[in-house]
Amino acid sequence: MAQPTSTRRGSANRQGLAGWLFVAPVIVILGVFMLVPILMAVWVSVSDWSGNGSPLASGVNFVGAKNYEAILGGRGLTGQNFGLAIRNNLYYVLFVVPLQTIISLFLAVMVTRKALKAKGFFRTAFYFPSVTSSVAITVLWLFLFNTSGVINKALAAASIKGPNWFNEPAGVLGMLWTKLGMSETGALAQPGLFGISTWQWIQGPSVAMVAFILMAIFTTSGTFMLLFIAALQAIGDETEEAAMIDGATAWQRFRYVTAPMLRPTIYTVVTLGLIGTWQVFDQIAIGSKGDPAKTTVTPAFLSYQSAFVDLAWGRGAAIAFVLFGIIVAMSILQRFILGNADATASTRQERKLDAAARHLAREKREAESSRGAA
Amino acid sequence: MNRPTKAGIAAVALLSSLSLVACGSGFTSTTSAAPSTAAATKSKITVLIGSSGEAETTAVKTAVAAWSTKSGTPAEVQVASDLGQQIAQGFASGSPADIMYVGDQFAAYAKAGNLYDYSAQMTNKADFYPSLVQAFSYKGQLVCAPKDFSTLGLVINTDMWKAAGLTDADIPTTWLQLEAVAKKLTTGGVVGLTYGPEIARLGALMAEAGGGLVDASGAATANSQANIDALTFAKKLETEGVAKNSKDLGAGWGGEAFGKKLAAMVIEGNWISGAMSKDYVGVGWKGVELPAGKAKGTLVFSNCWGVAAKSKNTAGAVDLVNFLTAKDQQLAFGKAFGVIPSIQSAADQFKTDNPNLVPFVNGAAYAQSLPAQPGTKAVIDDLNSKLPGLKTADPKAILDAAQTNLDAALKG
Amino acid sequence: MTAAPAGPGRRHAPVRTWAVFGVLCLIALIYIFPFVIQVVTSFKTEVDSTNNAMSLVPNPATTEAYEKLFTRSDYTLWIVNSLIVTVVVTAGRVFFNSLAGYALSRLRFPGRRAVFLALLAVMSVPGVILLIPKFLVINQLGIYDSYAGMILPLLVDAAGVFIMKNFFDSIPVAVEEAARIDGAGTFRTFWSIVLPMARPALITLVILSFQGSWNEYSHFIVSAQSTNLFTLTKGVGQLASGGLSGGNQFPIKLGAAALMTIPVAVLFFLFQKHIMNTTSGAVKD
Repeated sequence: MAQPTSTRRGSANRQGLAGWLFVAPVIVILGVFMLVPILMAVWVSVSDWSGNGSPLASGVNFVGAKNYEAILGGRGLTGQNFGLAIRNNLYYVLFVVPLQTIISLFLAVMVTRKALKAKGFFRTAFYFPSVTSSVAITVLWLFLFNTSGVINKALAAASIKGPNWFNEPAGVLGMLWTKLGMSETGALAQPGLFGISTWQWIQGPSVAMVAFILMAIFTTSGTFMLLFIAALQAIGDETEEAAMIDGATAWQRFRYVTAPMLRPTIYTVVTLGLIGTWQVFDQIAIGSKGDPAKTTVTPAFLSYQSAFVDLAWGRGAAIAFVLFGIIVAMSILQRFILGNADATASTRQERKLDAAARHLAREKREAESSRGAA
Repeated sequence: MNRPTKAGIAAVALLSSLSLVACGSGFTSTTSAAPSTAAATKSKITVLIGSSGEAETTAVKTAVAAWSTKSGTPAEVQVASDLGQQIAQGFASGSPADIMYVGDQFAAYAKAGNLYDYSAQMTNKADFYPSLVQAFSYKGQLVCAPKDFSTLGLVINTDMWKAAGLTDADIPTTWLQLEAVAKKLTTGGVVGLTYGPEIARLGALMAEAGGGLVDASGAATANSQANIDALTFAKKLETEGVAKNSKDLGAGWGGEAFGKKLAAMVIEGNWISGAMSKDYVGVGWKGVELPAGKAKGTLVFSNCWGVAAKSKNTAGAVDLVNFLTAKDQQLAFGKAFGVIPSIQSAADQFKTDNPNLVPFVNGAAYAQSLPAQPGTKAVIDDLNSKLPGLKTADPKAILDAAQTNLDAALKG
Repeated sequence: MTAAPAGPGRRHAPVRTWAVFGVLCLIALIYIFPFVIQVVTSFKTEVDSTNNAMSLVPNPATTEAYEKLFTRSDYTLWIVNSLIVTVVVTAGRVFFNSLAGYALSRLRFPGRRAVFLALLAVMSVPGVILLIPKFLVINQLGIYDSYAGMILPLLVDAAGVFIMKNFFDSIPVAVEEAARIDGAGTFRTFWSIVLPMARPALITLVILSFQGSWNEYSHFIVSAQSTNLFTLTKGVGQLASGGLSGGNQFPIKLGAAALMTIPVAVLFFLFQKHIMNTTSGAVKD
């Protein structure tokens, strides 16, 4: 449509101004409450601010990487606590991510079977825990896993003596090693990575941590189940039918036909799972606060505790940034391991765009379908 | 197009951070100098407490309300769910409570300049017990008025005691007797002895063995043989099944396990009287001095009324603290939730008012306190994290680790 | 779609489907049971909740937990605070996110790509990293311990902007062109023409914002400390850490947790078709 040049320029200017006005609130708020905080925290992590007065005031000095050294050096209580936090969170991630991926995939496959009745009921039942707040679920879990609580009573009905759940610091793997006759002696007892002895590293998650692992799976399997359902429905029935004609069994069908086509979704689920599990905080802060025996301390909680309880703000900020680095490293590592449908992006920008593009494509599909359904 | 806009965004970021510095009003610099002017004496005073139970909360609220009416200054009591965290956040944000319970973090707060030094305005400064004055002095000045103190004793369920055929003569005065009595009292669903799995309880055993985390000169003695003996003794009781820590009994603290009749005896402090009279009314109990190891020993705990340096009404706050540390008020607190007054002149009256707390008062004569220098809290927290597993752990290993950490902390 | 041919697989299907149904029922039971027991326990006495934890029948049935909850704690205040924060945040997010999403989608302005990339970068920062820094900034700005401090940082979120942008991308440009020719200003076009068409995305945004702010916890720890600014999450969290002293007090804690779940649960059930459909739509890539 031809327009006179002046109006076009005029409308372009108007658009430009409107554009900036429209995004201004978002930029201001995110800038002030996300960008600036990060800059301030970087400063605090390399300074000796003690929590009194402004961190930008004149009396606060630059101390370089002192806080980072204390955390990563493995010496002293600071280093050991950080090592324990990493160990605990690592096992949490190793157990939660695979389990929640498998379980949500399993539920999705079950629920999308063609002839199944009451699909909606099942989807609702499995997704409901995801809408509750972490506070409510933690309170519920503290009740269920109490020493004389519901879970132990149910186990007793099956003649199993349930452990003292939230008070039991023994590592599940550690109990196995002890049964095999190993103990904390010799080389195993020497301080190792991050100041934690090898024996402590191989303890596995404590029984208390296992309760949290179960909680995580309970609350997130529903969300990921929905993602898998979307993907399964996208795959459609034709491929399944074709495989059935060929005489493949259900398991073969799944393994050779369905699963490969789900790869992008599995990748998304694992990525989201990794990012989420490395940040576990709410449940620990409300539930166990690191007990028993510091087996449920996580880096996120340690960062909060160092700053808000021990008044070691620099250390807390440093832990937060190290955690950030871990999450980024894990995402990149995961990308290499699981591979990617698209070509490998070289620069960080392109990688980010890549992930965003997939994210946006998914949102677009959702919006399209909701428009179609509405 | 991108380069100028990227620079633009960077400029915006820089500008906003600079403006934050300029208009930063949340942080104010510390001044612990002159008390506030008369105009400020009517501004509201907040008192932040860490309560041991409803008895304590009600008592403090009543006292503060009485002062508020008398002085005409509004005052409010807030019960903390996590006292340390809330105090720390208050200090960091520049808007702390005016008055707060300060305990084992005293040295850290004083060092950071967060506490207002009102030693010159304390009305009963000369009356405080010397050991308490020492505990809450910073650089020679009594910065924080001791609010009360408590010691640990052995609390016995009198009904279970009688049912096991025991009399007053059987009250244990040595470790061997304690073990024997605990054996007698351990029946089907009840364990003979319980305690919170922390240094704040097991430390009493260490004191009785002649040890302690630090010695008289302040040097770290965490892994002394006496301490190892103490923890080994506790471990022995646990493996024999005559003692269980409160966590294993599913309780939040030793008093709860005792009040719920899960244990016949508990190592607890005199504050248990408040919980027993409010929450566990039907249970008959009696307090006695802890048995001796090598000698009598127990732990003393105390808190002080910290006034925030950034309080807007320091004059009013100091006045309230003087009210709360006065003899009558402290005796009222003692009656309500069983803490012992911090002033020496109230001792006799207290013993008369609370005959079943006399053993706890007597304990003050030989009580130890836990180290409180900056940095020691983290060591104690770490030590505490290992004690719930004492039954299957190696006491020497635990104490060796504590020794290393304590040495490092005390070096500064 | 071709008609399913009759083959060996089909004859086994009914039996296998019933087996699957059974397994799913069992799993669904595991997922639902905790919530059922939660509600039931909130009507038990404390002694009953400890001794008969698994029983689905309170003995005796009592409302003392709820009575204590409302008389001995500030539960009503927490509800009010949660409502205030959630309503303002949801309204704010709907408005600001759709504004920004529209601008990123439709309006040509210098620096658009940079803003887009910046939003992406922000989305990749894990929330927990920001706990300490946000506290520092909120304090520096002087809005610590106030409603402003609790609400402002939550008022927009990058993910919401993307949801809206995406949606606007899918609306044909012709509609707006028509409006612009008629002389409507940019804001008019946005407000009266395009936004009403975005109902499904807006509903998604409302649901996510409501859920997000109602269930928010860590942000409220760092943005406020007074007891009269407690929201439900902070208050119930305090209960869980033994704020009420003396005993387990499970009925009260579970009742508190159950009540606070009701609004999000209601929202969920009302819009579940919408939620399920938006994530299980067919793909035509």
